Amino acid sequence: MAARVLCTCVRRLPAAFVPLPGLPTLAAARARSTPCSPWGPGRGLGLRSRPRCSVLAQVPGGVTQLCRQYSDSPLLTLEGIQDHVLYILKLYDKTDPEQLSVNSHVMKDLGLDSLDQVEIIMAMEDEFGFEVPDIDAEKLKCPQEIVDYVADKKDVYE
Amino acid sequence: MASSLRGEVLNLYKNLLYLGRDYPKGADYFKRRLKSVFLKNKDVKDPEKIKELIEQGKFVMKELEALYFLRKYRAMKQRYYSDTNKTN
Repeated sequence: MAARVLCTCVRRLPAAFVPLPGLPTLAAARARSTPCSPWGPGRGLGLRSRPRCSVLAQVPGGVTQLCRQYSDSPLLTLEGIQDHVLYILKLYDKTDPEQLSVNSHVMKDLGLDSLDQVEIIMAMEDEFGFEVPDIDAEKLKCPQEIVDYVADKKDVYE
Repeated sequence: MASSLRGEVLNLYKNLLYLGRDYPKGADYFKRRLKSVFLKNKDVKDPEKIKELIEQGKFVMKELEALYFLRKYRAMKQRYYSDTNKTN
C-alpha cells in the first residue's frame, strides 16, 4: 500500500512540471500521458519507471533539487564545522558572544567551569551525532581544538 | 588518584544530565538544580568524602531511572487497563 502511494506521488511529479515555461513539448506530452495511464494489475513498477526517468532527464535545470536525498546530511567542510561550533557556543547562555573566537580558551577566556565544558561537549555530541569519550573530552579546551577533533572523526580534511 | 576522581565526577555529571532530559519538571529546571548541587560541593577535597558524594549521585541516578520506569508503567497501565477496570 505504501509503495502504491509513493508511486502515485512520484507519478504526479512530472505533471507538476507541465506549466513550466521552456519545457520540451515531447516531455510535456509524456508527462501528461503518464499519470493518465490506467493502473493495470499486471504492470509493475519497473515498466513505469523507465519513461518517467526519461521525462525527468529531459526537463532542463532547476528540477535536480527536487531529487530526494533521504537522510543524507549536508557535506561537512572545515569552515562549516567551525561555523557550527561557534554557533553552538554563541547559543550557550553563559558565553559572551563578543569574547568568543576560535582560539579562546573555554575556561580561562570565556569564564566557564569544567561542568560547563561537559555541557558544551554534550551539545557537540548532539550536533554532530557521535559520542566523545571522556579522555578526549578533557583535552578539548578551545573551539579550534573541537573543530579539529570533529573534522578528524568525520574524515574532513579540506 | 585525584584525576581519576575528577573524571568520575565529570562522568557522573554527564550521565545525570542525560538522564535529566526527560525530567517531569523540565530539563532546564533539572540542569539548574544539578549544577547548583555540584557547585555546592566543589570545595570538597577529601577523597573519601568525594567518593561518598559520587555514591550519592549514583543513587540519584537510580532514583531517576526508577522514576521514569514508574512513569512508563503508569502510562501503559492507563492506556491498556483503564477500560477493563471500568467494566469489571
